[in-house]
Amino acid sequence: MSEEGKSKKENRVAEFFAGIAGFFKGFGEACAGGDAAVKVSLVVAGAGYFARKQIVKGILVTLLEIAVILYQVLIGFPYIGQLGNLGEVQRAQVYNPETMKNEVNDYDNSLLILLFGVISLSLLAVAIILWMANVKNTYRIQKLAQEGKHINTFREDLSSMLNDKFHFTLLALPVLGIIIFNVMPLIVMVCIAFTNYDQNHMPPAMLFTWTGLKNFRSLFETSLTMTFGYTFRKILVWTLLWALLATATTYFGGIILALLINNKATKLKKMWRTLFVAAISVPQFVTLLLMRNFFANAGIMNTVCEKIGLTGLLQNLGWINTNYIPFLTDPTWAKITIIVINIWVGIPYLMLIATGVLMNIPEELKESARIDGANAFQIFRKITMPYMFFITGPYLVTQFTANINNFNVIYLLTQDIYTTTNQKMSASFGKEIDLLVTWLYRLTSEQYNYKMASVIGICVFIVCALFTLLAFNFLIKGDKEETFR
Amino acid sequence: MKKKVLSLLLCASMAATVFAGCGDKKDGADNNADANNAADNNQGENNAQAPATSDETVTLKVWAAEEDQNLTNELIEGFKAANSGQKFDITVGVESESTAKDTILIDPEAAADVFAFASDQITDLVKANVLQPVQDVDTISAENVAGSVAAATVDGTLYAYPMSADNGYFLFYDSTVVKDPTNWDAILSDCAAAGKKAGMVMASGWYNAGFFYGAGFTTTLNADGSTTLDWNGTSATGIKGTDVVQGMLDIAGNSAFLPITDGDTANQIATGSLGAIISGTWDADGVQGAFGEGYAATVLPSFTCAGQQVQMGSAAGYKMLGVNANSAQVGWAMELAKYLTNESSQATRFEQRQIGPSNIKAGEAPAVQENIALVAVTQQNGSNGVVQMAGGSYWDPTKSFGEIIAQGNPDGTDLQELLDNLVAATAQAPQ
Amino acid sequence: MRAKKTITSILIHAVLAIMAVVWLVPIVWLIVTSFSGFDGMNTSRFFPETWSMRNYTRILFQSDTVSQFPVWFKNTFIIAIFTCLISTSFVLMVSYAMSCMRFKGRKALMNAAVMLQLFPGFLSMIAIYFILKAVNLTNSHFGMILVYSGGAGLGYLVAKGFFDTIPTSLREAAYLEGASEARTFFTIVLPLSRPIIVYTVISSFLVPWTDFVFAKIILNSGISTDWTVAIGLYNMLQRQLLPNYFSRFCAGGVLVGIPIGILFIIMQKFYVEGITGGSVKG
Repeated sequence: MSEEGKSKKENRVAEFFAGIAGFFKGFGEACAGGDAAVKVSLVVAGAGYFARKQIVKGILVTLLEIAVILYQVLIGFPYIGQLGNLGEVQRAQVYNPETMKNEVNDYDNSLLILLFGVISLSLLAVAIILWMANVKNTYRIQKLAQEGKHINTFREDLSSMLNDKFHFTLLALPVLGIIIFNVMPLIVMVCIAFTNYDQNHMPPAMLFTWTGLKNFRSLFETSLTMTFGYTFRKILVWTLLWALLATATTYFGGIILALLINNKATKLKKMWRTLFVAAISVPQFVTLLLMRNFFANAGIMNTVCEKIGLTGLLQNLGWINTNYIPFLTDPTWAKITIIVINIWVGIPYLMLIATGVLMNIPEELKESARIDGANAFQIFRKITMPYMFFITGPYLVTQFTANINNFNVIYLLTQDIYTTTNQKMSASFGKEIDLLVTWLYRLTSEQYNYKMASVIGICVFIVCALFTLLAFNFLIKGDKEETFR
Repeated sequence: MKKKVLSLLLCASMAATVFAGCGDKKDGADNNADANNAADNNQGENNAQAPATSDETVTLKVWAAEEDQNLTNELIEGFKAANSGQKFDITVGVESESTAKDTILIDPEAAADVFAFASDQITDLVKANVLQPVQDVDTISAENVAGSVAAATVDGTLYAYPMSADNGYFLFYDSTVVKDPTNWDAILSDCAAAGKKAGMVMASGWYNAGFFYGAGFTTTLNADGSTTLDWNGTSATGIKGTDVVQGMLDIAGNSAFLPITDGDTANQIATGSLGAIISGTWDADGVQGAFGEGYAATVLPSFTCAGQQVQMGSAAGYKMLGVNANSAQVGWAMELAKYLTNESSQATRFEQRQIGPSNIKAGEAPAVQENIALVAVTQQNGSNGVVQMAGGSYWDPTKSFGEIIAQGNPDGTDLQELLDNLVAATAQAPQ
Repeated sequence: MRAKKTITSILIHAVLAIMAVVWLVPIVWLIVTSFSGFDGMNTSRFFPETWSMRNYTRILFQSDTVSQFPVWFKNTFIIAIFTCLISTSFVLMVSYAMSCMRFKGRKALMNAAVMLQLFPGFLSMIAIYFILKAVNLTNSHFGMILVYSGGAGLGYLVAKGFFDTIPTSLREAAYLEGASEARTFFTIVLPLSRPIIVYTVISSFLVPWTDFVFAKIILNSGISTDWTVAIGLYNMLQRQLLPNYFSRFCAGGVLVGIPIGILFIIMQKFYVEGITGGSVKG
């Protein structure tokens, strides 16, 4: 990164902190300089608005304040209070033959405490910020009033929501959705990496609690009985290799296919394109499950290979020592098969995208190159590829991280079929063909080892984040949002 | 200023959502509590009879295997008729006995009130406090075969209602191919002579443990969820673990042996290339179709181990019904589980699905006694069957171990080392 | 020269034909197996021994405890329609705000969105499940719709790229005529965005048809009439069921594939424009 870039970054950080400082300063000023109405609004949030005749706004703000306080007192604080140790009372039950029901004590559920504790705590933080902002805002209105300036009516406020504040209207629901379905669950899952939530500590019957960095240590430790470190390294290497190969093969394969179809000499371009699109119109899980039976040890592909003598040939070459080709059951074969099948799945999509891009390469560029005496390959290398890279760079980066997290292909093709013969890996429930995500999925769904799964999830994030940062800083160099306007 | 209103609104809607959410939950809980109180009052008045009926409709959810859906619905009608004084709303969902645990443990509170499961899952279910202890211990223990009761008992408490006694494996063979089904060597040579194969699932800790159990080795489940194996030493009967492994490798290395992927037995039987297979009653129909006239079943064979013949053991499995301790209607759920596993229900289950009863009286029926597969499994479970207790860290390592053997130990790993690794891996408690 | 051209042409067509065969073999296998008279998987020959329509009649008209295809199809269709409505509006809303408006915190929000997407989604599955359970939305199709569309706003990047290419001058002209931001959005930008709307609609419509991980966790009652196509078909391939249901699974796959395939082929053009329009001029 250049010196200029660095100082820019530092500036941004400084700005950020200055912004926060300014926010608190503003709040202090409002508290000090505000009139009675502003001071009352420290307690009754709508007071400042009532004083300036913004009745509706005042009522809404006060109602919201009451709602938040009620929520926190009734539901939020009890959960927040238990966040420290995630509950103490274990579930106990006694069967009462008379009522034919179990009598259960008032037990703590660590997971619910963590979940609603985190939600309530976040809500509390937001409420405090809003409360401070609200006081600042009433002070601003006070000043406007003192200076005799216009104060918006409620109707004007509303109409600005469709105009200069339209982004709030637009973003409100989507951001709310993201907070509920992405942010909150994520915070909870990150927290679980610091607890002992596993099969021996599963709510509702049992409690779990904080254990600090213990799980992270066991990920990097390998001993006779602890093979998580070994398995993690092996799986990480394969995950990165897979992401690289899967992205590269489909990318270049798609471009080559698109070039073939769009070649001037090709007849019936549309038919060819449609044929390949037909292959991806069947839902992926159907084709993948089909493929796994197609390539099974006793599957149709092996029958065919045996008939045409390929199996025998490979046996003679010493490549296989079974009387079938272990397409999905031998570590090396399975890795190759999976990548090949992924090429099958991915190329049609890339072909579509590449077609779009190729059609947009300015013809004059190619023409002038041709006049300069460049042959087809040189044009491809010097003009087509750089253009493709330029346009699809961001797509390539997202594709790489998507492949790191490519659950479907690996899971659907190998679950219940592939058995590892590596005893160290099986001791940590991993397999050679596992990606970090499939490993973490099986750790949760088969071993209930949520804490290690969370740790692995965080590692996946770190790997992806590192790569994305590098890619965006070195490969794509900045953001092109204004380029084409 | 307007910005602030919107951000407030945004927060309000957020708060409202969360608020409504939690409110609902609390309300729900209160309602439940009210209902419970109401029920309590009702039952306080007529608590003499058991089961006491009440005005509330008892809502129950039952999970049964895909193949058992119609049967279960039919039996439930019988249960309703037998308790006509009570209103029921019973739904039947699909959950295979072999995967019940995986679904239940995600959220025990959302699981069915009564569910079927295979006996090897019982320790995990008990640990998660999902199973309601059985009330009529004496009746249930007296009515069912001892092995099934033992498999449903953890630390002296009976946790489930035995439903079937046939969830074990034994030897199916084609008597026109295999003349001597008593030992592996004879079976493999007979199969080879007829151009057939003898198949078995090697890559599974349920099947391959049979060799070790036969030689006198054990698996012990510890309180922390780890499993202690003594397979890397010498057994009580003086057989070395490495000799057992060598015996297994000799079988796997025979060209007439076919290692089968766990769960793939039905497909392999259908190909018609087998002369003998180790499997269970779930494959009986398929095997009968494939072997035709020669269809026969018997106890597991012996195998050659350091020059001597050692009789194979097996993991004796049972299927049972569990009652969810989180059920709001735990009493009625227990009644239903008891009904679904009583003598007449088990008899019906046998009639319709050829499932071997665990109920002693139902098992004495002539039709059961004449069923070739059921006789074999009963003999196997009775003579050499072990109730296998193993934790979550047992299955993956033993599966890998079996796969290594099935492939003939391709890396040539020292056999002692293979066993040491296996023992170390299963000895891990969930970290 | 002409000879060289002919050779190139033959070569290209040969390569394309071979590739097309490779790409179509699994699809053809799916289709022919769906017409097989044999219930299980045929491993010894590619084409079935006997042909029959039985699989289709059974899967469509004779539901049993395992196969409830018509109900699953209806469930999935309803979920897909609503998912697609909500997701598309969310994506367009976020994209417009991020692309066409300038406000404080915009860059920060965009960076946060990129970061959020780097976490593996399954990780939060269990937390999402308990959030839904708290509001009593597990085992409900509404809950499924929320799960599929709730976080849809995060996938705004492609659509934003597309909006970035709409010339600023068009919007400025609208502002000059006194149009509000909302009006500009609805009357200027949206009508120009057909490709990206189609792209978003298709991709969000497809989600419920292919997801089985979330669906399996959230629809956990075991009642098969609640299921979506993906869990139902996946369930048919259980080891015990496969010998009896494999050909019906194929029939189901074909039945799901047909509408999606038609949709795809018709929308091909928009799909290409949508995904590349963001980076391509014109």
